[in-house]
Amino acid sequence: MITCKALPRRTFLRGMGTAAIGLPFLEAMAPAFAATTKPPVRMAFFYVPNGMIMDGWNPSYEGKLQDLPRTLKSLAPYKDDILQLGNLTHNTGRALLDGAGDHGRCCGSYLTGIQVKKSLVDIKNGVSFDQIVANEIGKQTRFPSLELGMEDARQAGDCDSGYACAYTNNLAWRSETQPLPPILDPRALFERMFGKGLPMTPEERARQSKYRRSILDFVTEDTHKLEATLGPTDKRKLDEYLSSIREVERQIERAEGDNKQIDPKMDKPYGIPADFAEHFRMMSNMMAIAFQADQTRIITFLMTREGSSRPYRELGIPDGHHPLTHHRNQADLIEKVRQINEYHVQQFASFVEKMKSTKEGDGTLLDNCMLVYGAGLSDPNAHLHEDLPTIIVGKGGNYFKTGRRVIARRETPMCNLFLTMMDRMGVPVDNFGDSTGKLEGLNLA
Amino acid sequence: MQFGRGGKPSAGAFFDTDFATIDTYLAQALLHGLQGKNDCRVAIVTMSRPNLAVAGFADAVERYYRGPAGNFAQVPPMGMRTEGAPGETPVGVTAPFQKPGPDGKPLHVNKVRTVIDTGDPNTLFRNYLQAQNDQNAFFVLAGPATNLAAALAFRGMKELITAKIKYLVVDGSERNIKADVAAAKKVFAEWPTPVILSGSEIGNSVLFPGASLDKEFAATTPDHPVAELYRSWKTPAYDAPSGAMAAALHAGRPKEGYFKVSEAGTITVQDDGRTTFAAMAGGKHQHLIADPAQKEKILKAYVELTSAKPVMPQRFRPPVAADKAADKDPLLDKPEAAKP
Repeated sequence: MITCKALPRRTFLRGMGTAAIGLPFLEAMAPAFAATTKPPVRMAFFYVPNGMIMDGWNPSYEGKLQDLPRTLKSLAPYKDDILQLGNLTHNTGRALLDGAGDHGRCCGSYLTGIQVKKSLVDIKNGVSFDQIVANEIGKQTRFPSLELGMEDARQAGDCDSGYACAYTNNLAWRSETQPLPPILDPRALFERMFGKGLPMTPEERARQSKYRRSILDFVTEDTHKLEATLGPTDKRKLDEYLSSIREVERQIERAEGDNKQIDPKMDKPYGIPADFAEHFRMMSNMMAIAFQADQTRIITFLMTREGSSRPYRELGIPDGHHPLTHHRNQADLIEKVRQINEYHVQQFASFVEKMKSTKEGDGTLLDNCMLVYGAGLSDPNAHLHEDLPTIIVGKGGNYFKTGRRVIARRETPMCNLFLTMMDRMGVPVDNFGDSTGKLEGLNLA
Repeated sequence: MQFGRGGKPSAGAFFDTDFATIDTYLAQALLHGLQGKNDCRVAIVTMSRPNLAVAGFADAVERYYRGPAGNFAQVPPMGMRTEGAPGETPVGVTAPFQKPGPDGKPLHVNKVRTVIDTGDPNTLFRNYLQAQNDQNAFFVLAGPATNLAAALAFRGMKELITAKIKYLVVDGSERNIKADVAAAKKVFAEWPTPVILSGSEIGNSVLFPGASLDKEFAATTPDHPVAELYRSWKTPAYDAPSGAMAAALHAGRPKEGYFKVSEAGTITVQDDGRTTFAAMAGGKHQHLIADPAQKEKILKAYVELTSAKPVMPQRFRPPVAADKAADKDPLLDKPEAAKP
């Protein structure tokens, strides 16, 4: 049915001052006769630490993606949506006379393109490019950006050879001195996204818990009102969407219950599950919802902190990740790092699957995204900052010619990719960080 | 970090050329010879014409001197301009790749197959200048000034050059200046550091002895790729003018007295490519003056340095020490970071 009055894009289901749930793109939101309304372009960064075993990452060919190398195998179903990029370099991650500390530098400068100041207290970086975009377009969404992660958000202390933990534990920087620490706790993220924008007070949480109510219960009235105005397609879409929120909520409740059983004294927030994959699933489900409901168009996600020494016992690997990456070419250590690399990509692939299966407009949510997955080091054993492992998944709004491996000239600044992405986000700039121009050869034209 | 512990490093050498004469290839070898004597560190080599075959050869020379890439000892990319004409390709540049070693495999491997195997000169200048200590690097220009003129227009480069570069030595052979007069004018007018010109007469005053191929090269570096190229350049190997080598030698050993140096002044490039020098106190320019008394000393240096055995760069972390260093990595010594 075509109506003359469209549902505003930023409609929320609200209830009792506690809940505010954004909505996915519904047909009812398209202005009358405006069949050409384009969904917004979103971007996300998935950063993995400690580099990559590169022969498992880089295909041996250029051009159309065929057989994916081992680490990327789990993304094979989506290879037509992937741009695999070669030779991108972060010179500002290198020592440049500052001595040891590649982990601190590579993460600190990853989205800023700035040589960070080597210090534990007098931290100095630049504004990350995601925040430049957020400053320009952030007013159009509930959250200008979301900063998320899964490990250790502490900011103080020495995390690498004299580099403050602020450099290894954050991707996004609002100013030269102000990083944006990632949210690690799914419960905190859930409440931020579907509550009043802030974590609940203990009293509010207790009240909700006492009656074992879902956040959806608070918005029942608004939901019924909205449903009455929707066509059958929109009704189905809304139902699926609200079900996905409920599922996330259940996951969090389960995790909280499990954590209490495992160790009542554990210092993790109760919403953080012990299981890595489960943690990722919860965070990524909410990321998908955030993009679907246009709550934000910018997400940065620190899979684990740079230099992470997390063991992966779920893979039978009790050794810490970072020590393993100093493998000294020992085959058994390299194999373990490969398994960790693969495991991380498998988690990411599950998110890609969700984005790909979510319809938006004439295509999928993935079509309108630029999901960058990569690391700030390539070969971790040598601490290399060139040919950084980088893929973009999604077409960035029918822009990227995906399904290819594109290799830039050696030493091409990573910031050139950022310039191209800023353009796609509607925030064109002449230069950023150490850029030398936009990254060419990625688009359909 | 550009080198290991203790002491000031030798100066970083930036070599830009068109690799159009055998002299320019010898100059690349000479700079590495100087590196072997700890007189400089070859930071980056860039080329001012888009010729992949030549870039591949020059890259192989870098690999010959730097050894296989490994931990903390990487071979930097060849810089190559992508605009303009590719120019002539010397017939000998592919010969080293066909020469088998004792195991039957090629002695040298061509790693430059397409333009993506090279780097943009401006980006390389910028990246490698940032890794130098202040006033502890020099440029040698032995070809058209095209790349250096472009660098002067690159964002932030003038400031970087001012901070890092002590001087630029130019092989001002007539063909080099005339190949891009506008660029030469710009470089002499705008280059922010002192500039020393080595005129055509310098290169012609001492000819590199072709006979050294069968003597010094054959004795010390029989598989030297530049020697291979030299043999194919002309038959029999001739005595070559040495303008590029003179510029490189003076840049690496400015106090050795191989050449006299003029008083300060200003060099101006005329429209027809001629250069004129006007003495002026406080001027940024000087030019080299041939000193016949030094001829034998120069010849000896040329031959010794170009034919010297490669001295592999000092690794930041030598193999054994690397293990120990890894064990002492502050990240590895943080048990709290290993918590799940």
